Parts: sequence; structure tokens; C-alpha cells
Amino acid sequence: MFITDIRKDFYEVVANQRVALLVASDIDALCACKILQALFHCDQIQYTLVPVTGWQDLGTAFLEHKEQFRYFVLINCGANVDLLEMLQPDDDSIFFICDTHRPVDVVNVYNDTQIKLLIKQDDDLGVPSYDDIFRDDDDEEGDDSGNESDEGSEPSGKRRRFDEGAVERRIERQRARREWELFMCFFCQAAMMFFELAWVLTKDTKDMLWWAVIGLTDQWVHDKITHMKYVTDIATMQRHVSRHNHRNEDEENSLSIDCMRISFEYDLRLTLYQHWSLYESICNSCYTSCSFKLWTLNGQKKLQEFLADMGLPLKQVRQKFNSMDMSIKENLRDVIEESSNKYGMKDIRIQTFGVHFGFKNRFLASDMVHAAAALLESAEKDESNSDNFIKALDALSRSNLERLHSGIDLAKKKLMAVQQTVASCICTNLILSQGPFLYCYLMEGTPDVKLFSKPMALTLLCKYLLKAFVHSTRNKRCRLLPLIMAAPKDVDKGTVIVVGIPPESETSDKKNFFGRAFEKAAESTSSRTLHDHFDTSIIELKSEDRSKFLDALITLLS
Amino acid sequence: MFCEKAVELIRELHRMSDGQLPAFNEDGLRQVLQEMEALYEQNQSDVNEAKTDGRSDLIPSIKLRHCCLLRNQRCITAYLYDRLLRIRALRWEYGSVLPANVRFQLSAEELQWFGRYKKSLSCFMRSLGGAEAGGEGLDITQDMKPPKSLYIQVRCLEDHGELEIDDGTVILLKKNSQHFLPRWKCEQLIRQGVLEHVVS
Repeated sequence: MFITDIRKDFYEVVANQRVALLVASDIDALCACKILQALFHCDQIQYTLVPVTGWQDLGTAFLEHKEQFRYFVLINCGANVDLLEMLQPDDDSIFFICDTHRPVDVVNVYNDTQIKLLIKQDDDLGVPSYDDIFRDDDDEEGDDSGNESDEGSEPSGKRRRFDEGAVERRIERQRARREWELFMCFFCQAAMMFFELAWVLTKDTKDMLWWAVIGLTDQWVHDKITHMKYVTDIATMQRHVSRHNHRNEDEENSLSIDCMRISFEYDLRLTLYQHWSLYESICNSCYTSCSFKLWTLNGQKKLQEFLADMGLPLKQVRQKFNSMDMSIKENLRDVIEESSNKYGMKDIRIQTFGVHFGFKNRFLASDMVHAAAALLESAEKDESNSDNFIKALDALSRSNLERLHSGIDLAKKKLMAVQQTVASCICTNLILSQGPFLYCYLMEGTPDVKLFSKPMALTLLCKYLLKAFVHSTRNKRCRLLPLIMAAPKDVDKGTVIVVGIPPESETSDKKNFFGRAFEKAAESTSSRTLHDHFDTSIIELKSEDRSKFLDALITLLS
Repeated sequence: MFCEKAVELIRELHRMSDGQLPAFNEDGLRQVLQEMEALYEQNQSDVNEAKTDGRSDLIPSIKLRHCCLLRNQRCITAYLYDRLLRIRALRWEYGSVLPANVRFQLSAEELQWFGRYKKSLSCFMRSLGGAEAGGEGLDITQDMKPPKSLYIQVRCLEDHGELEIDDGTVILLKKNSQHFLPRWKCEQLIRQGVLEHVVS
């Protein structure tokens, strides 16, 4: 069931208890986890934190801890399946789920005792009403469920005669439920949910606010929410930021330079540009690289023209951003915005937040997201997923700056690898149109292919590739197709990881139907697949079954 | 060269400067004592000769041997004393039961000394917090640094199995899991290296 008063129904319930936190592996979850940890430290609520990467992990972690804990908090996992059936918990275990995956499984919505959803109910979820799905045909139970549907109170006599009516209604119910579960998308952020809890308890701090901002930016960077939603949420965050900032304006009691300051920035969309050189950042950011088409010779020339148009000498632009001349840095944003308008890039600036503490440390929210994501999925050999989780969690604290800087370096390498792969895929025409979708397979010998065996990195590559493809192809029909990408995951076991993303369009609502499509295709061809990720559009597959799986998908979707 | 072996003993302790205890060097000690005996014998005979025969040219060598004897004595006592200081630190580090590999490094007499030290420390602790009969005593080996909070956040560095805390609940310590636990429960495990205190 949905929780209405998060303070009363969640926080005060766990206040004197011991809680198990099961946290998924994405940045929003990490930020939410940090906020919750800070709250728990404040009130001395004992907890145990376990990172989970997929459904199997979740099951194992639950089995290990179910004897010792009664209350479980699941962050960014667990809402979109029937949790009670999957985990088979005892009757007194209570689950608090804060998940951004939609749709929420209907069993979770309508279970009153064990599952509490920490999700705002006024998001336009469109949950089908109880009767559309669950109402029984039997007369005995039909009338007193207190329902408010139109099918209300029919006299029992009539029901017995209208058997076809009952069958039809059942079909309706199934259809409603199927439709509800067809598309998968993301909504709201776990981090913001917990920040609001902190705010309601008046225990919010600037650190928590910053983590909430990072959670929001993560969803935008990884293209999980629409631009409209992002702007709306930025406005909400802006209110909190100005509330925290009003102390700064007091001239007499100004804060020391070491204190944390969060400021609203209308900054450039160039990834990591303050920690890199401007030139590298322009070459490796998706937006600019796709607009200029930097994988072609023409594109390179255009870039040079662009720089010349702004009057930036190449020598300045290629050196580290912090060492550029002050005279250039001062008006950089406005100058770039003006010139990019001429080159057709209308949205080069984006609303975001930046943090500033000490003399040297300035970071934008997107910098932190990229650094943490690179740490979370670093492909080192002897590091397990939980090691990476711990590293990324550490990097989000202000006291672990070296970790953050190493994350930024890893992120730079990752971005360069993504750009090079995109360029090579487009130039060698590796993207094939299979009819209802586009398909691309990364061969084993591709450089940096190990980086792309991780889901977030592969999804990022997928989105960049689709954007680049849409910019480069002349075929109008192909521009509206979704993209499926496969990359080798584990050479020894012979598995590949497959990701599907919806088509690229301005008004897309980011709904992804590949989850269901993959399931059906796997069933029909009995391919050996593993649907382990919380995000249903990412699966693992045995390489031998790849071609028949694809054929099944083609028939399914055409 | 005289006194070499004694300095060897000192060097051995100096090499392990971070408070670790090397094994008790019985052999080395015996050799030094033998050397001291030999020097003493020689000195005795020379002194007798010098007294009876009036040979004053033996006096410098007597003086030299005497200096060596004093030096050896000083080295040995320094060796033994330093070891005792390290053993005392072990009580504060490991608690009253020493792990087997540490106990192996101590000689029998040192073990006796350790037992007596433990006893006097516990007597003292018991006498704190109310002198007359019924004083509960205070465990002064806890909280070596003033604690900032009742509960601390710890991270598990290796699989350690289960840990039971005071109210009976059991916590599973698995690698890379993080926990928020009472400080006094975690101190031992932090010292052993199973848990790591996370400061954020």
C-alpha cells in the first residue's frame, strides 16, 4: 500500500528497531542510501546495509538476513514484481520499498500488511483500481469489498445468468493488468523522497540536499526522465537550495570558505569540462559530438570553425580548464551559448546545481554523477560488485576527495571509450535495421569492450549511439526506431548482455516496452536467458541463442 | 669483539619497533651470560695476580673487562625491560586472553609476569567506582580514545560469520556490508581488523 505520512508510517515505525537496507546499484539509490544513513545516525537507529545488484542478489541477501531483521527497506528495487511471492517472507516481515521503477506491481499496491510503498501517490501512475483487477466473480464476496467502481452492486440473480458477462469482465481485468504492466519507465527519485522525509523531520542538511540533487541529476544524465520532469524537479530543489542559502547573504556573519555552498547554475552541457580541457570535453560530450557529427571529417572542420568563431585560441582550449586564461573563462558560458545558437545547438546550457567548498573544490552535479557511475562499474578484475559499491558510496562524501578524483579520471576514460565506439560503429555501419528495430552487436575484439559489459555503461553507449545514428542517417523511417544493443559479458561462460532502449524523439516519455518483449521472445525460443536486473530491459543471454532470440523479437514486434 | 652479542639482542628488538614482540631469544641471552662469566673469570685471576705479583700493567685490561661486564649487564637489562613494556601493552591491546601465536613468543617467566600484571590491573579496576564491597569497577581498557558517539558505522572487511549483541540479536558480518552498531561491541573487532570504522 502507499504510505501517506512518511514520518508517521515509516520513520516512527522503525525508530527503535533494527533495519536492513537493501540498496540497488545505481547512483540515485546510493544517494538515497546516504541520506537515510545520515538520518539513522542522527537518531541512532541501528541498521545493516547490503548492496544488491539483481533479483538473485536480493533473494540471497533476504535469506541471509531474514532471521535477524523484521524491517527491510528496499531502495530502487522490488516494486515491479510480486515481492511476497518472490521472497516468501514470514508474516511479520515488513518491507518499505522506495523504488523509481514503474509500473509498480499491483500486488504490491494492494497488499495492506507487509508491503509499504514509499512512493508519492499523486504521480500520474494510473494504477488500475482494485476492482478492475481483483474483484471475484463469486457473489459471496462481491458486494462488501467497499469498492467504488461502476460495476457496483448488481443483484446476484442477474449475475448467474450473465456468464458471458463474467467471462468478458475477466478478460477486461487481464487486459487492464497486462496494459498496466506493459511499459517500464522511471519516475521520481528515491533520493528526493528521503530528502523530503529529512525536511519533514527538520533534520535536513546541505549534504543531504546535495545528495538529493545528485540523485535527480543521475536520472537526467542517464536519460531516465523527461526534460519537463527534470526542469520541474529542479525548481523544487531550487526552493530548498535558496532556503539553505539565505545565510550566505548576510555580510556580517558570512560563512567560512570551507563550508559547503550549493548554488544554482545555468551551466554548459559539456560533460566534466571543469576537470578536463574544453576541447576534450566538447569532443566527448554526447550533445556536442552528435550536433557537430565529430566522427566525420566535416564535423572536425566545423568544430574548428566553431572555436575560431568564438575567438578561442587552440592552445588555450586544449589545456586544462583551470589553467585557461581568466579573460577567456569569464564570459565563456555566454560566448559559447551565442556561437552554438548559430550552429544549431539551442540547448547547450542546462539548469543544474554546483557545489563549492574550500578554495579548490568546485563540482557540478553531473560531474559527481559521472564519477560515481564510473566507480560503480569499474571493470577491474579482482573487484567484486560490492567493492565497487563501497567505493562509489565513499566518493559521494565530502571527505573522500581522492576517491572522487579517481572517479572523475575513470569517467573521462569511459567517455572517451564511448565516443570512440560510437564513431567506429557509425563509420563501419555496424547498426543494422532489422525491421521493427535497429540492432548493433559489439564484437569481442573491440577496444574497451570490457567496460561495456556493465549495464549502466552499455545503456549510456546505447543512448549515445542512437542519438548519433539519428543525426547521421538519411533514412527518415530509421530515425523512429528503437535500438537493441548486445555486448559480450563473460567470455568464459559465453554470455552476452542485451539492452533495449526506446526510440529517440523530442516528446518521448521514456517508456520502454522491451522488458516484456524480451521475456516473450525468450519463452518462445526457449533461449537461456537471465532476467536478473531490476531494470527489465536489460538481460543476459547465451551467445549461441543470440540469433534465434533476435528472430523471435523481430516476429514479435513487427 | 666483546659485547657484540648483547648489542645483537638490542638490535633485534629495535628492528621490530612497532611494538611487536619477537620470540624470546634464549640462545642469545645464554651466550651473553657465558661471555660475562668468561670475562669475570679472567678478571678474577688477573686481579689476584696483580695483587700478589704487583703487576700494575694488568690494571688497564682489568678495567676494560670490567667496562665490558657493565655494558653487557646494561644491554641485557634493557632487553628484558623493553620486552616487559611490550608485554604490558599486549594486555591493553588483546585483552586478558592472549592469542596462541603471541603467547608462543613469551618465555615462562614472562608469562608469569603477565599473569601477575593482569591480576593487579583487574584488582585496580575493581576497586574503582565505589571502594567498599559492592563497587562494580570500571573497565578502563575500553574506550582508549574519548568516544564521540554511542553508535558507530563500521564496514566489514572479511566474512566473519555472526556477531551477537547485547540484546540478543545476531548480526551477519559479510564482506562489504556496512553496519551501525554500538561502539563497545565493535572495538575488539576493529582492533582485530575484521571491521573498519567508517568516518563520513
